[in-house]
Parts: sequence; C-alpha cells; structure tokens
Amino acid sequence: MSWELQHLDLRGGAAPVADGAAPVQVVWWWDALPVGSAAYLPAELPLGDDQLRDLAARFAAEQLATRLPTFGGAAAPDSHGRPLIEPALDAVRDFVDFAAVDALAAPAQADASALAVIVCTRDRPQALAGCLAALRAQRRPPGEILVVDNSLEGSARAVAGAHPGVRWLHEPRPGLSVARNAGLRACTRPLVAFTDDDTRAHPNWTAELVDAFERHPEATAVTGLVLPAALDTEAERFFQFDMGGFGSRHVPVRFDARFFAANLALAPQVWRIGAGANMAFRRAVFDRVGGFDERLGAGAAGCSEDSELWYRILADGGVCLYEPRAVVDHHHRADWRSLRAQMRAYMRGHVAALLIQHARFGHRGNLRRALWQLPGYFLNTALDLPIRRTRRARGIVLWEQLRGWASGLAFALRPGGRRPRSY
Amino acid sequence: MGYQIVDVDLSRPLPEVRLRPDQTGIGLLARWHGRPVGFAMQARPAGATLSPAELAAFASQRFALELLRLRAEQALAPRWQRAEPPAPVSLTVAICTKDRAVRLRRLLASLDALRAGSRFAELEILVVDNASVDASTREAVAAFPGMRYVHEARTGLDFARNAALRAARGRLLAFLDDDVVVDPHWLDGLHAVWSECPDAGGYSGLVLPYRLDTRAQIAFEHFGGFGRGFARIHHSPVKQGNRLFPVGVGVVGAGCNMCFDRELLLRLGGFDEALDTGAPLPGGGDLDIFYRVLRSGRRIVYEPRYAVFHEHRETLPQLRRQYWTWGLGFMAFLVKSRRSDAAMSDKHTDMVRWWFAHQLHTLWGAVTHLHLQHARFVLAELRGGVQGLFGEYDRSLRRSQVIRERAA
Repeated sequence: MSWELQHLDLRGGAAPVADGAAPVQVVWWWDALPVGSAAYLPAELPLGDDQLRDLAARFAAEQLATRLPTFGGAAAPDSHGRPLIEPALDAVRDFVDFAAVDALAAPAQADASALAVIVCTRDRPQALAGCLAALRAQRRPPGEILVVDNSLEGSARAVAGAHPGVRWLHEPRPGLSVARNAGLRACTRPLVAFTDDDTRAHPNWTAELVDAFERHPEATAVTGLVLPAALDTEAERFFQFDMGGFGSRHVPVRFDARFFAANLALAPQVWRIGAGANMAFRRAVFDRVGGFDERLGAGAAGCSEDSELWYRILADGGVCLYEPRAVVDHHHRADWRSLRAQMRAYMRGHVAALLIQHARFGHRGNLRRALWQLPGYFLNTALDLPIRRTRRARGIVLWEQLRGWASGLAFALRPGGRRPRSY
Repeated sequence: MGYQIVDVDLSRPLPEVRLRPDQTGIGLLARWHGRPVGFAMQARPAGATLSPAELAAFASQRFALELLRLRAEQALAPRWQRAEPPAPVSLTVAICTKDRAVRLRRLLASLDALRAGSRFAELEILVVDNASVDASTREAVAAFPGMRYVHEARTGLDFARNAALRAARGRLLAFLDDDVVVDPHWLDGLHAVWSECPDAGGYSGLVLPYRLDTRAQIAFEHFGGFGRGFARIHHSPVKQGNRLFPVGVGVVGAGCNMCFDRELLLRLGGFDEALDTGAPLPGGGDLDIFYRVLRSGRRIVYEPRYAVFHEHRETLPQLRRQYWTWGLGFMAFLVKSRRSDAAMSDKHTDMVRWWFAHQLHTLWGAVTHLHLQHARFVLAELRGGVQGLFGEYDRSLRRSQVIRERAA
C-alpha cells in the first residue's frame, strides 16, 4: 500500500483528504515555512476546524518562539539535538503581535550568487538529472553549480552537459569525501552548499540558505530539513518512521560551543545537526578546520563525514545552525536490500567517526559512546523487539547495525586507521 | 511530607509562596484568564519561600511555550472559525455515589456554583445513590434545591451508571465520580468542546490533583496521574502510529470525568454491569464504554478546560491497591472485548502481550534505578493483570447475576 504525501498550507485552510485506504502523510506549511509533519489514517479525516486551529496555534507558537528576537531566537538543543523551546514568561505575557508569524513565513528574497552548489554523483545519471533540474529551477539561481563525477568512466558528463551553466568535474578516486573535497577546491564562491544526487531541492532552497547565513553572521555551517520524496515502499517508510528518517524538526536549532562542551562526556551528538544531503558552509571554514575526512563517507567507512566535519567546527568554536526553511526532498532507499546495506554502512561510518574523533581530540566520550552506549542501545532495541509492530524488520536492521558496529571498530582500529590524512 | 498546590493565573502578578514546615514542594497549576495552561510539581526544601521571580522562572521553563500556544490559539481563532454553532443541547450531570456524603456535598457545592452560568439549554444534576447504608446521601442531595436523587439498590458502579442512563433527561450525559470537585470552568469547557465537535460520541476531560498532602498522592501524580495534557485531543476510532488503538483505550481519559451522547449509550446497551462490581473487580467499566463508543465509529474528544480535581488515594497501600485494580480491570476488559469483538481479536491478543512486556520493562527500569516504591506499584498492577486475565471477568459475570437476582 503506497502512502500519499501531501504538502498543505495551513494558512489557506487546506485540509488533508484521503483518497482510498492508504494513510496520508502531511507536511504542514505556513507559506514558505515547513511547520510540521503528521500522518493520518483515512478514518481520522477530515480534520475539524478546531483541529486545524489547534495545529495552527501550536505551529505558530513554535515558530514565533524560535524566530523572534523577543523570545531569544533559534532554540538551543538538548543532548539529543531536540529543540528546547523555553521563551521567557514575561515576553510571552506581553506579546501581542501574533500576525508576525505571517511576516516570518514569507519566502526569503536573498540573492544566491554568492553560493556554490556541489553535487557529488556516482553512476546514477537518472537521479542526477532530476536533481539538476530542481537546482536550475531555483527562484534565486546559485552562483555556480558543480557536478563532481565520482564514477570511473565519467558517466555523468552527458547529463551535466545537458544543463547549461552546470560545471562537470571528474574525480575518479572513489569516495564521497574525496569527491566533495575536489568540489571544494574547484568552487569559487564564499558560500558552498552540498546536496546529493538523489534529492530534489525546493525552489527557494538557495535563497533560504543564503538568507540564513545573512541573518546569522555567527553561523559557520547551515543545515536544512530533509523530507521524504516518496513513501511508496515498506523500506522507505521504515527508514522514515522507524529509523527517524533525516529528522523531523521544524524549528531552527543553534548548535554551538556550549552544546559541544555540555555533551562531551558521551560524545556530542553532532549527527543530529543535519544531513549531508542538505548542508552548507562558509568556505573560509575549510581553511581553518580542513575538508571532509577521506576515511569517512560513502566509498570509505560508510558515512558520518558530514557530522565529523561539524564536530571539528564546533570544537573550533564555530556555530552550526539547523534552519528547516531550507528544504530538500530525498528519495530514501526503496528496496529492502539497499536499506539493509545503508543501515550497516551508517553504523560502520558512525563508529569509525567516533574513533577518529577520539584520536584527533582525545575526547574520551567518543569511546564511551562507541563501546558502552551503543551496545546498550543495541540491547535496549533487542529487548523492545517483541512489542514492536515492525519487529521482524527492526530485528534485521539491528543485525545489520551490529555488523556495521563491529566492522566500524575493525576499520578504525586497523593499523594506521586513525592516522590523520591530508585533505 | 506534602506538596502545596499553588493555583496561579499567569495573567496577573505572581504571588509569593510560603510552604508550611511540613511541605516539601509545590504542585503549580498555571492558568491564563482562568484557562488551565499547565501543571508541574517541584520538590523544595521544607518550609521554603518562593519569591514571585522564582515562581516565574519555574513557570517559564514549564509553561511558557504552552501559554504562547494558547494565546496564539485565541489570536488566530477567527481565521479558522467557519462552522455555525449547533443548536443548544440539554445536559444531565450524573454522580454515582455510595456512602460518601461528605465528599458528595463538596462536589455538589462546586457544581451548584456553575448552574447560574450554564450555556446548555437545560442542566439537570442527578445523584444516583448506589445502595448507601444510611440516609446521609439523600440528605446531602436535599440540601441543594433542584438536584435529583435516584436510588439504585444493586451494588456496583455500572448498575448505578445504567440507572443514571435510564433516568437522565439530557441529550448529553456527563459522569462524575464522588471523589472529585469540578473546576470553575468545567461546564464552559464541556460546552466549548461539544459546540466545536457536536458529532463526537463522547468527551473526556482533564483530571488534576485535589490535594498532594501524602506521599501516596505525590507518587500517584509523579508516575503519570490522570492528566492527559493541556491541549485538545481528538481520539478517532483508529489512529495512525498506534496500531493497538482503540484496544489500548486508557489514553482516552478516566471514568471520573467523562460525558457521552446519551442516545448512543442507549443504542450500545449501556454500561457492562459485570465490570466495576466492587471489591473483587472494581474497575474497567470506563475503558469498556470508551472502547465501545469508539468501535461504534464515533470520536471521543479530550478537552483540558473540562477539568476536575480528583482526591487521590491517601495511603501507599491504598495506592498499591489502585494499581492492582488497574491491571485487573484492564485485563478483564480485554478478555471481555476479545470475546465480544471478534474482528479485533488479533489486536486484543497483541495488547495482552504488549501490556505484560511493557509492565516488565517498567519494572526492570524501576528496579535498576532503585525506585523500589515504583517497583511495588508495578508488581501490584502485574498481579492484577494476571488475575484479570485468568477468569476474573467470568467470576464477575456470575457475581453480577447474583446481585441482580438478590435485588429482584
């Protein structure tokens, strides 16, 4: 049964409608602001006027509390990266301008010529074509679009060539980090955004990213919201709902040195900052902390090359801002086989990144996370299995995670595995 | 050992709170122009004084976002108001009571104060005396002119509830337990949720602690209480993300504060009199009726403004006994519904498995964190669950038959 995905603007009073027996996944918008997501069974629909009003009130409150300077702006994260929204009581009591949410929700108008967009791809010409089409349809065109072709034969050349204004660059040495670093060396703009070839950027993506950097001069890195592009298969839904997808926070969250220091005891959960499919940086930061670690990422340890870089940025005193206004849709793994491989690779990369972070900084929390907290998480997941709906699927994924964990330890502990490499 | 319940309106300057020497914390109920915004407890040194600033800091941390949400709701409401308000409806408030005239009088007084401001077409207050041993219940009702008194000779809460169902004249029928007191906005809250959701089959409301004077009362509230939050919740007959709903119906509300479309209850055949028959099976009737209303295809809507204050069990043994009755009542309800609702029998079986796994999980957590008191509550609930699963519903069916025959 394929789920329906609906994007609805609450402001206009649009309400979800079920078409058949399949559940409906709704992404709620307030003009250009994605304010919430929820899934409904057909029998839960239609929603009453009071339900729409209550949703609007909750979403409006969350947006006002994390976007207006009166209430302190972007939320601070808890140890799991969840937003702590704690406006001051006096400010709430005296507040009157609730219509301000409409102004907050207007699309950003920033000029994006200062932004380079880098897409790394490897033998997926069809996916890449969709990704590039979305990038060329941006309301504010980026200063440059760079395709880094990580295939041996340069198979993306034709697709890139079909899009005027897209630069094609061949980097045959395998590894996502290698490709991203090649893109970094080649681009010329002060801001640089990355997305993957399996995404579709929303039309205002570039403008929102640049706007976030302009509004937050202190931000070294910005990440955005990654929504599922489709929920047609069991595998896609399992990734989105059972594994949490790429997160579903709808308010801005500010990760800074304070978050980093407060959570050192068990490794700051930098992977909560965002996803590599939707991230951007001030280019100057790479001169300070270096590029992507080429031992990590797809084609090497598996993943976590993005979060390991955020780790270095935070350790350096930088600020990473999660800004959900910058949205891309992501095609999750549609079949079970590739999802299994992905979950294994994620855990492998995660463990490798922890050990590398420990080797680089000597922060012992990384070891505690890898050797104590993760086994505890596996045990808890195993104990929970009998009462889960998706116990079979989760059991299989747990097995893959265990394999990934072991192989991540082996990867990083092999001779020379943690020696720093030049970028 | 006790917490002071502090009821503050955030729209006014906050007071200074002085704890008595025997009080070791506060239970802060925050409102906005009378509307409940949040409830939170915090331990404090015995006899401490909380300045308005300290109170504000606590309230900021716990309720400020909720207050912003509520204020946004009021400010933005006109944009979402489309439906015409429905034609006025009549309401019967039924209180089933047995041998608790003092508490009954307290409740009736709190209800009496709301009668003048009622926005219902008619408001009837009906007390069902469930075979009290003396005349004190009748006398308590007589002290309030215009309140009705009905006697039900067959002992058992659901015998009494069905007596109310037959005697009531209102189109809506609200039930209150005799150990609650209604909030000043209770009636308005019920009217608001009905007028915005007139098609619902039932309504449930917020339950707050009446006092927190003993360890048992604090423990009850600490481990969950009866509250279901400070935002309205629509419980439709099925729920995305909760595969066992409506079998796991406890989230809907509590029997001490619930209201139904009376016609619907009559069509469903009223309450199951084999549940809530007193000592051996003192629970489950509310779960059963919530479940059957939802299974009939109608919604139950939870409304926080429709609030009561509940006098929690006073001593730890009483509270442990209450945990035992929850396990017992829930399992008896599951056994009964699995039998009467074949279409859902898979979910009932899964629910039994889930429940025991969940309780064991909670027990494990309580033991490993050395919360031994909590562990004893969980054990009591588990014991009740086992007893309920193995034959309690059938034993209770026979008992209720005996009660019927004796009364006939």
